[in-house]
Amino acid sequence: MMIPTGEATIGPFFPPRYVDAGANDLTVFEGRKAKGEAIEIHGRVMQEDGTALENLIVEIWQADAGGIFRHPADPRHAQADPNFLGWGRAATDAQGNYRFKTIRPGAQEGRAPHINFMVMFSGLMRILKTTMFFEDGKDPVLMAVPAARRSLLIAKGNYEFNIRLRGENETPFFDD
Amino acid sequence: MKMIIQPRDERTQPARIIAGYPQTPLRSPKEPLVKRAPTLSELSGPLEVAKRVKLLGGDIAGQGEKQAIGQLIHLRVRVLDEDGAPVGGAVVEMWQANAAGRYIHPNDDDHAPPDPNFYGAARVVTDESGVFELRTVKPGAYPVPTRDGWWRPPHVHFSVFGRVWLARLVTQMYFPGEPLNAQDRILNAVPDAAARDSLVARYIPPGVEPYNALVFEHQIVLRGRAATPAQP
Repeated sequence: MMIPTGEATIGPFFPPRYVDAGANDLTVFEGRKAKGEAIEIHGRVMQEDGTALENLIVEIWQADAGGIFRHPADPRHAQADPNFLGWGRAATDAQGNYRFKTIRPGAQEGRAPHINFMVMFSGLMRILKTTMFFEDGKDPVLMAVPAARRSLLIAKGNYEFNIRLRGENETPFFDD
Repeated sequence: MKMIIQPRDERTQPARIIAGYPQTPLRSPKEPLVKRAPTLSELSGPLEVAKRVKLLGGDIAGQGEKQAIGQLIHLRVRVLDEDGAPVGGAVVEMWQANAAGRYIHPNDDDHAPPDPNFYGAARVVTDESGVFELRTVKPGAYPVPTRDGWWRPPHVHFSVFGRVWLARLVTQMYFPGEPLNAQDRILNAVPDAAARDSLVARYIPPGVEPYNALVFEHQIVLRGRAATPAQP
């Protein structure tokens, strides 16, 4: 067994072109429109003192409208929407806001509809991983979170998902 | 292609809060991280990122009149999983300072001159043996704005997409024999000495191709093992 390489902060100087134009729009892939309900997800990312964080990287990974992941580990992946990659990247603006256009994911066996999030930033020595849900329910990942904190993983409205790295209403992050 | 991801030995990973790195205590969670059993969602991941992002070639030192200033180096990096199996087709993003220790970035206006012929970033895909190669110049060291004597040693940033979401990695590679390595607060945040050493590239004595660049080899190990290892 080999030891997995140690993580490090992404630092402040990743190149501006690290975030390609359109990388936060998952509704179109190679010029073709994905199936399903197009939605927008947005939110603000803050640190302990409430300061909004600019130029922070958010990446997401999710199933398509039918709840299928575009990956061979999914037994149904042959039926995945060919026009949906399921991955996107955004950077936060000067007000700490990120935004994605995507497709509302379908449920999978044993899992409620959800979107996996990853946060990378200067001063974050390791990638932080969390999961956004559309509603409360019996999802095993959501149930793993202490009951009092679960509501922090459920998007508000159409669809707002704020991420607090530390402090009041701190977003639950997962130890994987 | 089912992958198994097991918890890492904490000593092989950096501390989240580092004395003398003032941003770290503001940005790392205070609450304990939540343990979960990975499901298909975390044990799958984007395999076709190269179709979404623009690839940038592996020659960032430039050619002809557009050559960057600095010591020409050739990096040969192999990406493996925890079984030691090569991870082919992986998108790797790389960025670094120029030879003077300056990044092409609006936030880096501190001290050192820019090099108009050096953008300092690449985005490549590993071959079937998990290898990618980069022709670049050796990055310079630079002082950190803490202004308390911390300088970053020469280093290269890598962002790697593995086969599954939980294998995603952002890391930094260092150069052997650099005196600043011993005091760097980021490199030394990894407690285990062997894990720290594995972040330092290996210098390959001249005599191999390419003849006109100093060659460094490095290895990146992504999390995960195949659920069904390949038969010998």
